[in-house]
Amino acid sequence: MSLLRVENLEVTLQTSVGPARAVRDVSFQLERGQSLGIVGESGCGKSMTALALMGLLPEGATTAGRVMLGEDDLLTMPENELCGVRGNRLAMIFQEPMTSLNPLHTIGAQVMEPLLLHRGLHKSEARDEAYRLLDQVGIPNAKSRLDNYPHQLSGGQRQRVMIALALSCDPDILIADEPTTALDVTIQSQILDLIEQLVSRLGMSLILISHDLGVISESVDRVMVMYGGTVVESGPTQSLFHALAHPYTRGLFASMPRLGGKRERLTTIPGTVPDLADLPTGCTFAGRCPLVTEACRAAPPPRLPVADGHEAACIHLDLATAARPSELFS
Amino acid sequence: MSGPGGSFLARALRHRSFMLGGALTVGMLGMAAISLFWTPGEAISLNVAHRMRPPSLEYWLGTDKFGRDIFSMLMAGAQNSITVGVVAVSIGLVAGVILGAWASAKRGWIEEAVMRFSDFSFAFPAILSAIMLTAIIGPGGVTSILAIGIYNIPVFARLTRGVANAVWAREFVLAARAAGKGAVRITIEHVLPNILSIIIVQATISFAIAILAEAALSYLGLGTQPPQPSWGRMLSEAQALIFLAPMQAIYPGVTIALSVFGLNLLGDGLRDLLDPRLARKR
Repeated sequence: MSLLRVENLEVTLQTSVGPARAVRDVSFQLERGQSLGIVGESGCGKSMTALALMGLLPEGATTAGRVMLGEDDLLTMPENELCGVRGNRLAMIFQEPMTSLNPLHTIGAQVMEPLLLHRGLHKSEARDEAYRLLDQVGIPNAKSRLDNYPHQLSGGQRQRVMIALALSCDPDILIADEPTTALDVTIQSQILDLIEQLVSRLGMSLILISHDLGVISESVDRVMVMYGGTVVESGPTQSLFHALAHPYTRGLFASMPRLGGKRERLTTIPGTVPDLADLPTGCTFAGRCPLVTEACRAAPPPRLPVADGHEAACIHLDLATAARPSELFS
Repeated sequence: MSGPGGSFLARALRHRSFMLGGALTVGMLGMAAISLFWTPGEAISLNVAHRMRPPSLEYWLGTDKFGRDIFSMLMAGAQNSITVGVVAVSIGLVAGVILGAWASAKRGWIEEAVMRFSDFSFAFPAILSAIMLTAIIGPGGVTSILAIGIYNIPVFARLTRGVANAVWAREFVLAARAAGKGAVRITIEHVLPNILSIIIVQATISFAIAILAEAALSYLGLGTQPPQPSWGRMLSEAQALIFLAPMQAIYPGVTIALSVFGLNLLGDGLRDLLDPRLARKR
């Protein structure tokens, strides 16, 4: 049985212009030890999916579908039981290490808290364990760092502290929401390597959320591409990057600058993301897709197989895969 | 605690209005403390033979129409003002911060209810509620404490809810929730420490307002009852003699004004010192 099974997840947010369907019909499974990447541009619903898993959606959000962690449905679980799941079985790392630590408490106190809360350690045991955790995430002089305040650490070190915090209770699943976006490039790869290493050493599952295709392609087993709140393409990383199928994925990939490539204008996808409060009836990407036909606008496209375990939600897959991405959008 | 421009103490010593406010407040507290065991003259018992004396070495600021030493009365009156201020502000602070933090943690209809309740109590002039309360339980020190305390509850509730909502929106609170902490723990460990400085500043300002309110209630005869000296009642007693002995009204008036001025400066100074961002903009 899968560790985590998400079935037809829907998230609707209340906005001033009416309900916005931020996540629609998202389903996936995560096995123990496996890693999943969710990729997409801002506002595609990737963070909302993560927050829905954690039960941390903003005020007024409603959900439908099922999020099964083992035998438990997290969507219907009462808040007080969820508190025992968060941090303990599910842990999350956030985008902004600069503001994710309370400026008023020492690093040690903050790393020790979940140990005291979930693992019931004594104060001195928790301090030793906090030291071990900080050391494990590669913080130099971990012992003296315990008494430092967050402002005395650099961004990369703070993100390491956040990782130590997330790992403190040995969670089954680690959700990393754009963990490297706020860091500079040299630190980015160090942090990603660290996450990967720890995940495989501790046998955890990982959900890595990013808008950076490079980050995703190097770090995970499976990839899910989201657009306008729904999954447009998903599959094993190798297969997916070998044969990008959906016009959106192809456009996204083509719009990435390449190291050592020819100096030419980058391919862009014309138009902007659809308004989530006013979605088209058919394919979400129809408004920007060069291959759009009447059939695309009529009904949401079914998920069609591309290769083993690799599927894409597009009715014109043959046309999309025939043309080179740069030609597709020129 | 250290910030830009040196330690807290070093910055405090450079802050002129904070030091002036601090000096005035310490002066008031000192007067009250000394009066507990020593006053230059008689503050409570009457001595009609010595009434209406001009200032002298024996009676530093003269005596009133009952022969009580005015300077001693001012000293003993400070005790009264401080007691009322401290207790009333504590009532308002504790109840208001709990209500505001609760509203902020729960949101939804609880927040609405607490805030509408605050709006409702703000709709009544404070002095009117005090008179109403006096009608129910009779005039006295306890009445003024209760009236001022109750008036302060929505003040603190509103402030706490507002700044707490801002803290709840911060990322470290989201991270704390992701670590499995409940609303009560987050409130105690993350929200309250981050809004403490704002609450302290509000408490100082509320203390000044409470002293003023106590004087007003005593002036109207609703607050502290004789023989316990009170600045407000000294004012109202001197009112009848305003053309005969104007200084008798001016002494308590100036004392009230200086205390309130001092506390306000102290509050403003604390706000500057506790929030380095504000201080740097000046």
